[in-house]
Amino acid sequence: MLRFLVRRVLLVLPVLFGLLVLTFILVRIVPNDPSAALAGQNATPQQITEIRAKYGFDRPLIIQFFVYLKQVAQGDFGTSIQSGRPVVTDIGQRLPATLELTFAALGLGVFLGVPLGTLAAVRHNRMLDHVVRFFTVGGIAIASFWLAIMLQLLFAMQLDVLPLRGRLSAIMDAPPTITGLYLFDSLVTGRFDIFWNALHHITLPAITLSFGSLATITRFTRSGVLETLQKEYVQYETAVGYPRWLLVSVYVLRNSVVATVTQIGLLFGALLAGSIVVEAIYDWPGIGSYAVLAIFTSDYKAILAMTLLVGVIYAAVNILVDVIHGVIDPRVAEQM
Amino acid sequence: MLLFRRFLRDISAVIGLVIVLATIVVAIFAPWLAPKPLDAHESHPVERLQGPSREAPFGTDNLGRDVFSRVILGSRAALSVALLVVSGSLLIGVPLGLLGGYGSGWTSETIMRVTDVFLAVPQLILALAMAQLLGPSLKNAMLALTLTYWPFFTRIVYAETRRLKTSVFVEALQGLNASSFRIMFAHILPNAAPPIIVRATIGMGFTILTAAVLGFLGMGATPPDPEWGLAVAESRQYLPEAWWFATFPGLAIFLVVFGFNLLGDGLRDVIDPRLRRSR
Amino acid sequence: MRTRSWLVLALALAVALGAGPAHAQSVMVWGDNLPANVDPHALYDVPSSFIQLNVYDNLYRYEGNPPLLKPWLAESYTASKDGKTWEFKLRKGLTFASGDPLAAEDVVYSYKRVMSMNKAAAGPFKAAKIASVTAPDANTVRFALEAPYAPFLSIVPVLTVVNKKQIDPHVKGDDLGFGWLSSNSAGSGAYVVDPSGYIPQKQLDLKRNPQHFAGWGHNPKPIDVVKARDIAETATRVNALIKGEIDIGDSYLPTDQVARLQKEKGVVVQRNESMRIFVIRMNNSKPPFDNVNFRRCMSYAFNYGDFIGVILKNFAERNPAPMPKNLWGYPKDVKGYDFDLKKAQAECDKAKAAGAPINREIKLHYQAQLDQTRQAGQLFQSDLKKIGLNVSLVTDTWPNMTAATAKPETSPDMWIHWVSAYFIDPENWIGTMYDSQFHGTWKASSYYKNAKVDELLRAARAIPEQKERTRLYAEAAKQIVEDAADIWVYNTVELRGVSARVKGFKFSPVGSGNELRWMHLE
Repeated sequence: MLRFLVRRVLLVLPVLFGLLVLTFILVRIVPNDPSAALAGQNATPQQITEIRAKYGFDRPLIIQFFVYLKQVAQGDFGTSIQSGRPVVTDIGQRLPATLELTFAALGLGVFLGVPLGTLAAVRHNRMLDHVVRFFTVGGIAIASFWLAIMLQLLFAMQLDVLPLRGRLSAIMDAPPTITGLYLFDSLVTGRFDIFWNALHHITLPAITLSFGSLATITRFTRSGVLETLQKEYVQYETAVGYPRWLLVSVYVLRNSVVATVTQIGLLFGALLAGSIVVEAIYDWPGIGSYAVLAIFTSDYKAILAMTLLVGVIYAAVNILVDVIHGVIDPRVAEQM
Repeated sequence: MLLFRRFLRDISAVIGLVIVLATIVVAIFAPWLAPKPLDAHESHPVERLQGPSREAPFGTDNLGRDVFSRVILGSRAALSVALLVVSGSLLIGVPLGLLGGYGSGWTSETIMRVTDVFLAVPQLILALAMAQLLGPSLKNAMLALTLTYWPFFTRIVYAETRRLKTSVFVEALQGLNASSFRIMFAHILPNAAPPIIVRATIGMGFTILTAAVLGFLGMGATPPDPEWGLAVAESRQYLPEAWWFATFPGLAIFLVVFGFNLLGDGLRDVIDPRLRRSR
Repeated sequence: MRTRSWLVLALALAVALGAGPAHAQSVMVWGDNLPANVDPHALYDVPSSFIQLNVYDNLYRYEGNPPLLKPWLAESYTASKDGKTWEFKLRKGLTFASGDPLAAEDVVYSYKRVMSMNKAAAGPFKAAKIASVTAPDANTVRFALEAPYAPFLSIVPVLTVVNKKQIDPHVKGDDLGFGWLSSNSAGSGAYVVDPSGYIPQKQLDLKRNPQHFAGWGHNPKPIDVVKARDIAETATRVNALIKGEIDIGDSYLPTDQVARLQKEKGVVVQRNESMRIFVIRMNNSKPPFDNVNFRRCMSYAFNYGDFIGVILKNFAERNPAPMPKNLWGYPKDVKGYDFDLKKAQAECDKAKAAGAPINREIKLHYQAQLDQTRQAGQLFQSDLKKIGLNVSLVTDTWPNMTAATAKPETSPDMWIHWVSAYFIDPENWIGTMYDSQFHGTWKASSYYKNAKVDELLRAARAIPEQKERTRLYAEAAKQIVEDAADIWVYNTVELRGVSARVKGFKFSPVGSGNELRWMHLE
């Protein structure tokens, strides 16, 4: 297992390097030279030239890239043109928000989707099954921004049972920082008022974000369970007299969960992409909205750091999924 | 023909086909079907934000334009994006996948590493960055989407080619001294086609959604294009009174993507028994 | 007995669970846009005025509507007869919020810092051609100008005073402390930045400074904590006001939302005539915009009536000249252009005959976040199509567009923006927009060049007498309108949604009423 892990990590490194190269090229072909933005609104053309020389924008692209690599190796990811703070500070402050939202959405997807999919499979071709099947295909056809708008209208405005935006009410203080995940931190430090408030606030964004993955997880669980149910050994065990629920929960689930776990790896990427829209509409201060801000303001250091971060997270999740795969299904582990 | 009959027996697949065909027809004949085709770019502020009526079944938007006509006209943007992006991605991705899977050594490795790089970041983020660089417009959004979607096809084709490379008929062809090019394109490709077709169909729906998100974020279609995502973005501040402005374009997106998904599922069940998920 | 102990237990539990802030602090939630960072010398736009007015102080300050200059950190000033030397007498006993004394040398330091950072806030001072700023004694600040500059007093409020002692320990290399001051405060203002929990452009907390030099006697229940929360979408902001999640919205409330908010009992819509003109810029250096007939054609093709009357529901004043009509110096007898497609066509035909490439694709940039610019763009595009002109819309952002205006080649063909009241003098509008010496700045992005106008504007800048200046500006404005340098649409009636519980909202065109020290909550 350890050898597998090491090998996988080593394989990821050239990919991340390639990603950095790709992003660097993309960012530096920008028609709007960051020199003008750095120099400020009043700079004379001569001052802009001075800034360009000072930051090395006039040197060949390759040299600029290696200078950047050297800085990154020393842990210096640069400063944001907009906020004036190190990019690492900006991202580090916002990352927990997105992680919390993503975990919540994934949790909803798994803890609702698996039972739903199993139930639908067990009640194959009955009413519930048809409804669930419609949902699994329809759920991924809904535009998330449209869903978010509608949910906000209904629950936050019309029914007024949930808040409109943000992670917490403005008048509520954030919990003491342990992980940056408000739900966890507030529970652990006993601040139930904050926990309750944060829970209210994360509900709509999590539902919106989870919709697509809920549909996918339900779908894959359903077909996985159906397939296993039709396998010979299950039919044999049914004939012999094992109770249905035992069969389903113990044997069937374990074998069908493999497909679902694979999906989770792919879904993580979709969730990161989905967070862009959700964070914009619900004012969730995470890295999704930060990425959009950086792209719109051509904040090139921020864009580079964000790309690297997303690539690393994505790779880490995929490796983790492979490992879990190996744990669940020993046959897969043998092939590693 | 047997396949076709099997397909017809699947109700949801047929519904999907009907929706897709209807969308294609609407898109082709849009300027004739839309009651007010000039509203694609013409504004009449005096009639702004009026609710659904006989003259305007879907109401009017913030510049007095007929929402019904604009939804119909928007189908052109949706379908052309879907078609162009998916075909572009196929044109780039399939040959690369074949080469990567069939070849060995540096070519194959490089192709697959580059594919991995593009797949290392969620497509939307990369497309967003590219669209911003090229300048926001529908054309550039399509380009950005094509340049970020081809890896998905490459992956599938690579896996299929790898699998088929070791099969008997390929060995036979190699024994007969058939050229690699011929083997890849004339023999492996047709066998790898089923999952490609399924993926492409579902990809059409997925592309429409992603293009709508780019339009919503202001990085895709630009005003006054009647693109559905852009319409939802512009409609936000007139909610909840002018509900029609946001609802109908949103429903249009849903219906068309839903149709493609159903169709794709139906095709999958029929033409690729291996991939068939239990019904 | 039993009941009593249960009661005590229940009470203790309630107290433990409800344990939050002990006493009632006055807290307000501010829902306006946040600036990119909080260094007062790094930015100079509408959002940054929130920091500049509340966290920092200036020598003189604008108050009220119409805006009048009030002595602030300075208690008086004297100007030499030749207009080249200005001296300001500071009040005695001033301190920064940190407790450090505030003296003339701090003003000198602040001036030097603004100029060294050379960002937008340095602009007005560069135009003033200040030779030196010195502190002859602890309470006097002396500005020596190279030549007389009539608007000098008007631009003095632009300078915010920062505390050298707080900034110096954090200076890195030649960043002038920007790396630190961008997320902290070193001012003397009524409020202080609370750096904990600051997320740039997302959330910022301000805490009241009880030691503020102006005192709190005018406001018995001042607001102790202001929580600024940025909201990305206009629709969400309006909904948040209705729900009570925020207490104040931004100053660009869409006119369509006014009726909706007026129906809500908990919200008041503030309507104030401001000094903020809405302009559609034309890059006079790029053909066909270098042809005056073409520019006139464009000026006749915008439907001012429908835009102001229908789309903006008359929440704006038609303002056909390059400065607000409620400011002295406005050319009273200038009619400007009206919407007339026939006249437009005639002018365009003249332009075409002279060889101007009127049928090329013209790119009109609008601001992605500001919907009015998008609507204006679409309306204009639709009408221009009727006379055969090919305009395509480009969504863009303020930082990108202002950076592009640095060179005539990269400056957009056309773009739409407002010019707000940064300081109250025609110089803020017509002076800095149409004098060719300012080419390369966003205000002068029309790259208009007329030697006679330059002469008039430079004379107006130098002469101290307002009556004479009025005459000069009016004459310059007439010429600029005749040359149709840009398309001036309206003067803003600022609309802002404010919670009914907020009292003391004092509007001024400078700052849009965001001075917090007047406000209290009912």
